Amino acid sequence: MSRALPEMLQCADLTVLERKGERMKWQQQQQQYQQSYLQESQMSFIPSFQTEMLELSMMQEMSKNGAENGWPDLGKYQINDTESAAYLTAGFGAGEDYGISRTASCPPVVGEEKGGDFPVLEKMVVKESSKKRRADKAATCLKANDVVEGTRDKRLKGDTNEEESKAAEQNPTTTTTTNNNNNNSSSINNRETSADSSKENSKVSDVQKPDYIHVRARRGQATDSHSLAERVRREKISERMKFLQDLVPGCNKITGKAGMLDEIINYVQSLQRQVEFLSMKLAAVNPRIDFNIDNFFLKEMLSGCNGSYSTLGVSQELTNPVLLQFNPMHQGVTCSGMDMAINPSDITLRRTTSAPLSLPDTFVDSYFHANGSSSNNWDIDLSTLYSGDFQQGRQSVFPSQSLTGNLEVNNLKMEM
Amino acid sequence: MPNIRTIKTTQKAKTTTFSSYSSSFSMQPMHLSAETPTSLKTMFALRFLRAYSKINRYKSPSRLSSSSSSSSSSSSIVIRRCKRIKLAAYASMARAVGPKRAWSRALLHKVLHRTRLHRSVTRPKVSGAGSGVAGGAINRTDKLRRLVPGGKRMDFCNLLGETANYIQCLTAQVHVMQGIADSLPPQAWF
Repeated sequence: MSRALPEMLQCADLTVLERKGERMKWQQQQQQYQQSYLQESQMSFIPSFQTEMLELSMMQEMSKNGAENGWPDLGKYQINDTESAAYLTAGFGAGEDYGISRTASCPPVVGEEKGGDFPVLEKMVVKESSKKRRADKAATCLKANDVVEGTRDKRLKGDTNEEESKAAEQNPTTTTTTNNNNNNSSSINNRETSADSSKENSKVSDVQKPDYIHVRARRGQATDSHSLAERVRREKISERMKFLQDLVPGCNKITGKAGMLDEIINYVQSLQRQVEFLSMKLAAVNPRIDFNIDNFFLKEMLSGCNGSYSTLGVSQELTNPVLLQFNPMHQGVTCSGMDMAINPSDITLRRTTSAPLSLPDTFVDSYFHANGSSSNNWDIDLSTLYSGDFQQGRQSVFPSQSLTGNLEVNNLKMEM
Repeated sequence: MPNIRTIKTTQKAKTTTFSSYSSSFSMQPMHLSAETPTSLKTMFALRFLRAYSKINRYKSPSRLSSSSSSSSSSSSIVIRRCKRIKLAAYASMARAVGPKRAWSRALLHKVLHRTRLHRSVTRPKVSGAGSGVAGGAINRTDKLRRLVPGGKRMDFCNLLGETANYIQCLTAQVHVMQGIADSLPPQAWF
């Protein structure tokens, strides 16, 4: 900052040719300065809260009067200087930076348009810009006065509101500088940085609202908590909308809440219709084959369990034809033999499930149960032997690994 | 006739065992991470298959006699079974999710009290709850409210969260039911 100020004063005194010669230097330095200013402004924005509002508004009025009086070139530079100096005295890091970047951007732009009549052109340009500035400052000074009154009231109330008022006072100044910067390409960057920094340092998140609707600021003291809650709610809604956007396919391209809601509604409806269709499909299944449900159950459970896909493929391929082989025999069983055949498997099943085992063991139990119930045309001896073997295999193998136990049972069944 | 009796008894035995090991299984989900969709899928699959086998057992006698006599399925039975299966699917999903979600609570309440499911879309109801969403989004919000069970009493923020969870669960449900329907052998169809 302090490097740039004497340089500008020098420039005010320089002749046209010298300025032409230094135009390239200007541009380079300007770029460097802008970069450094952007960094500085981000750094110095946060501690720059200790400014006095009255000083700042007085300086703005001074500069406004200067612009109205139509000062010569030097005066115009002085305006800029006083502004920047005011910012300096106010300790307003960001505003100061903006002021200088604006003044630094002036000479090369004008010089590029017309090399010869530099002062005249500059006068015109500066007059235009001063018109803009006048309008902006008329608005911002009104804002600033409002804010000053508000801040006085708040300071009387307590220190807690000070942060808020200072954050509010920060915004008009930055807008003035950025509005003056309209010719400059870096004005966009400045705005972005100011927005970012104001977002960063504002715990009071409704700073932007009283910036736009400033008439409601006093009444807004009562509604501040409401607006805060409203903002939180809106953030929540947008976050959930984002989540839904990830969830609903084809919703990424749609922007706007209404279209997204339409898409979500359509998706939910389609899913519900799909469930209806699938239940219709399942209702159309012949209920005689429902003992295969055990098999499906097993499959679902196994597919739900991670890492057992290799055994799943084997067991499914092996068990399905076997079960279907048992299908015709299954219907020709007498009542007595079947009850006797089922009971042991039932008992073993209850015993095994009552034991505190992990999930794969229950898979195997159901698997065993499926085998036992479908192969109930075999003898009691065979089924008891089966269960005994199963118990042995479980005791020996399962503590180490359950999946190998599953495969063993499978092999055992194939041997049968 | 003996065929029917045997099948009935087998199914009875089977459902008892089903209930036994499902009850033992329902003590277990604390060991699993109940949040992951895989466990949700397994829970739903278990409950739904149990209910499905019950439905099949319930319908099997008349079904078997009719199919053995005429071997033609009357559509009314299929429609009734379809409704039961759908109810069972929704109830088992709501049970699998548990009572921590508002939509599952509302869905379970609806299923238990035999309220009509998802038919309230056609009901012309004027809801005075302006949810703060401007313009034409109110209609859409009300539509969404009627689609998500229990959504009428939610504010818009909660509605979106519940909708997200509901969509997740519905996709899991559709996936599981599709798997069941696909894994049925071709001779299972009429």
